[in-house]
Amino acid sequence: MEESPKPLSSLPTSKVARAARFAKTGLNVGANYVKHYARRAVGAEAPTDALHAANAAELYGTLSEMKGSVLKVAQMLAMEKKLLPAAYADQFAQAQYQTPPLSGPLVVKAFRDAFGRSPFEVFEEFDINARQAASIGQVHWARGGGLTYAVKVQYPGVADSIRSDIRLVKPIALRVLGLSEDTVRPYLLEVETRLLEETDYALELQRGQEIAAQCATLPHLEFPRYYPALSSARILTMDWLPGQHLREFLATEPSSAVRNQLGQALWDFYMHQLNTLRRVHADPHPGNFLLRTDYGGTVAVLDFGCVKEIPADVHRLFTALLAPETLADPVRLAALLEEAGVVRPETDPAQRVFYVSTMHTSLELVGRPFRQAMFDFGDPAYMQALYALGDDLLQQPELRQQREPRGSEHFIYLNRTYVGLYALLTELRAHIQTGLR
Amino acid sequence: MEQQLPSLATAEPAASPKARIKQAYLDYVLRKGTPPPSVYRLTQKLNLPEQEFYRFYATFAAIDRELWADFGREARTAAAREPVWEQYGSREKLLGFYYTLLEILKRNRSYALQSLHRSLRGMPGLTPRVLDDFRQEFEVFVGEILREGRRTEEVASRPLVQEQYPRAFWQQMLFVLGFFAKDDTVNFERTDAAIEKAVTLSFDLVGRNTFDSALDLVRFLVRK
Repeated sequence: MEESPKPLSSLPTSKVARAARFAKTGLNVGANYVKHYARRAVGAEAPTDALHAANAAELYGTLSEMKGSVLKVAQMLAMEKKLLPAAYADQFAQAQYQTPPLSGPLVVKAFRDAFGRSPFEVFEEFDINARQAASIGQVHWARGGGLTYAVKVQYPGVADSIRSDIRLVKPIALRVLGLSEDTVRPYLLEVETRLLEETDYALELQRGQEIAAQCATLPHLEFPRYYPALSSARILTMDWLPGQHLREFLATEPSSAVRNQLGQALWDFYMHQLNTLRRVHADPHPGNFLLRTDYGGTVAVLDFGCVKEIPADVHRLFTALLAPETLADPVRLAALLEEAGVVRPETDPAQRVFYVSTMHTSLELVGRPFRQAMFDFGDPAYMQALYALGDDLLQQPELRQQREPRGSEHFIYLNRTYVGLYALLTELRAHIQTGLR
Repeated sequence: MEQQLPSLATAEPAASPKARIKQAYLDYVLRKGTPPPSVYRLTQKLNLPEQEFYRFYATFAAIDRELWADFGREARTAAAREPVWEQYGSREKLLGFYYTLLEILKRNRSYALQSLHRSLRGMPGLTPRVLDDFRQEFEVFVGEILREGRRTEEVASRPLVQEQYPRAFWQQMLFVLGFFAKDDTVNFERTDAAIEKAVTLSFDLVGRNTFDSALDLVRFLVRK
């Protein structure tokens, strides 16, 4: 298979490009604020609603441009959509720390710090030019002892920068969102924790090994072996696996049988993690999977930097919300939503009805795959329905005006997981045996 | 990595009187935190006549200057030993030098930090005397790197201005040393990042950029 991936600059959905998009949004949101305060200063009536709508529209444009269908699914799954005012929640879940590329000498230095030797002494062959960007560093190719390795090198001091950036950005973000710190604290804490975990390569190595072992029985999946002796806090060495990223792979026009098998492997992998392991690879981003046609379709899973452990009660709640019985029973749904913090006892009855009915529509659509034994993610009608509902939700004034976070902070990464998985399966146009009997 | 006794990269054989004086001075400074009270005390401890000291050094400060120059020399030779050195462009060569120097300073961290804390207290931007010899050799080294960079077009050719580059890069070196002296992160990780960013910026500045295009337009307009 393709053993010479493209250089950094040509990655299709490079994080750099994504960062640039976000930076632009940031500017526009800033400009909306300037307009808002300017209008206020001259005494004009400038309701915060208008401002918020302008910002949300700005973000919405950016998000849909970047992620296409993913965004729509996000809105569906969005019981936590209302946890932050529209569209912002996505930005939180997508939060990924950006670092500039490391220079050759800095890579050499990271090796000297970790092993006292340069990478050229550690490996027989080492490519000083990065093959790929990783979220907080980059991936190098190396060879030694008859094996080829992928070596992830982290930018120095990332954990510190993340902490200080969050401290810097938090007050501004709260201002922009019009929220008080108390209400947002659990969500921010959740995101900060995940981001910081991603900088801990020792933890990633351990989790990668554990999850690989626990998923060893699942068919058509492949995990890299990790090499603790060649890894340190800032360097992570694993097997260099063959395969292509989703876009490139689809460009080779694989047969529907192959696509179905790949999709099924992904589905089984995620259902096993969600329901049995209760800890999940929470970053189903296309860059974290390598696909190939061997054995009728094999998926290699990379990057266990972002793993979400699911508490038992959250798991029960999440499963119950997606269960077919819940949809048929409005009382049960309302009770579950109350438990999830989406609806509160003090919520007034009219709003309550509104929330429950909105959630009902969302859940009906999002949970649809779980109510059929076989589901076709390639069905354009399903995706169109998701799109349409997403647009509807954004138009709801009640949701736009929402000022108060709702829902459990654990849903942030659970949602991101589902969103990513649906997006992958949709791109694969896979028919999935959902396991429903 | 524990603090080892500093190894000195010098041309002299280890047992030569000059090397012994240098080592004894370094040991003293490390143990007591200040230079010895007099040259006589130091030479007496070494069983050398006092004149022997003055054959090599005029003052203790001269030893300090030489120690720093040694750090720089060792960093340049060690960095050039890296197998990829020849493939490096100018920017990477300078980075390689900084990182190797940082390794050496870390190995000698007590002396280096003490010496920097003592000497960097003055005006920012002013070169402390103790770094004089180090600076001269550094500027020669940077001059060479930049010349090479101009040949490969990594560095834009700007007659008149470019003569000042080595001095500007020396200010960068002072910035790095100052950062190192104040860095309290584990393993000086923030210094690594500071070096990376500072060098990238400096090479963005000396490379062909907006400035050259603007100058080109101005020249064109003036010429009629």
